[in-house]
Amino acid sequence: MKSPPIGCCINGILRLLVGGAFVFAGVLKIADPAKFALDVNNYRLVPHEMINLVAILIPWIEVTAGSFVLAGIWLRAAALVITSLTALFFAVIVSALARGLNIECGCFGTMGGKHIGLANLAIDSTLFFLAALLARRSKDCPANVIFKEAGAQKSAPPPAAGLKFPIQFL
Amino acid sequence: MSAWLRASLPQALVIVFFGIGAGLAGNQISPRGLPLITPPRQTHKAEAFIALDQAKQLWYRGAALFLDAREPADYAAGHIGNALNLPALSFAQHFGEIAPMLTRESPLVLYCDGPECDLSQRLAENLRQLSYTNLHILSNGWTAWRQAGLPTTPGGQK
Repeated sequence: MKSPPIGCCINGILRLLVGGAFVFAGVLKIADPAKFALDVNNYRLVPHEMINLVAILIPWIEVTAGSFVLAGIWLRAAALVITSLTALFFAVIVSALARGLNIECGCFGTMGGKHIGLANLAIDSTLFFLAALLARRSKDCPANVIFKEAGAQKSAPPPAAGLKFPIQFL
Repeated sequence: MSAWLRASLPQALVIVFFGIGAGLAGNQISPRGLPLITPPRQTHKAEAFIALDQAKQLWYRGAALFLDAREPADYAAGHIGNALNLPALSFAQHFGEIAPMLTRESPLVLYCDGPECDLSQRLAENLRQLSYTNLHILSNGWTAWRQAGLPTTPGGQK
């Protein structure tokens, strides 16, 4: 039996981190869209009429892209979407900091309720880097490699001679 | 543009459109759904703003609760006497602390600082959405109140 290549294990961890973070962040915002609309409004970047639309759509795009990454479907494309979103969020946070706005980030719903600062930039940069890495690496390790290998492990090895143990009938 | 990027872009667009579709559908179904086009800002009626003299009378009669819409650090540095802090920019986070002291009809005087400051208007919008109706805005409240020598709580005190 061949064990999965180490690179594919790293891809699996990256998928969990990046996809999980985006699904989590999106679900928190979807749970309270009015609060997220208020957060979007506080950045003073979006025309007033468009605030609700942005607050409705961004979290669902996050959840969709995160789910694709978690499921390993169109992995590279989904990682690209997340990379683009994190780049956009980075620019938005930098712009708010440059204008001296003392507002809540809105990045992970109401969690923490912390005002934007360097910590948000650090988290965003980390996600950007991990998503870009995932987009780059997924060429060398297709998502289904892990599942194929896991499937191979599930098939029970032939029982050793003389082994009389009920588990071999399971 | 590299070949892999060119190949992934159409799929990335499909993912984005899928998210947009899910968002529009989810918003229709959700009881917390929002109108797609943000309703125009409520224009504040002239009577929503009160003069310093009126605010002073309300304060001395104890007829209204004063709410400071500024950030906690600004509030901590000094505020109108007996005023409570309900920062407009982190309304959801702080409202739970103030809500038990209010009824929907409680007379409230909202203020921030500076003629350009719109925090008290933002706070009023948030409170109106929650059906608080008896709202008064004291424009340039902190500076005007202080310059008139009215009672304040200096920094470091509650």
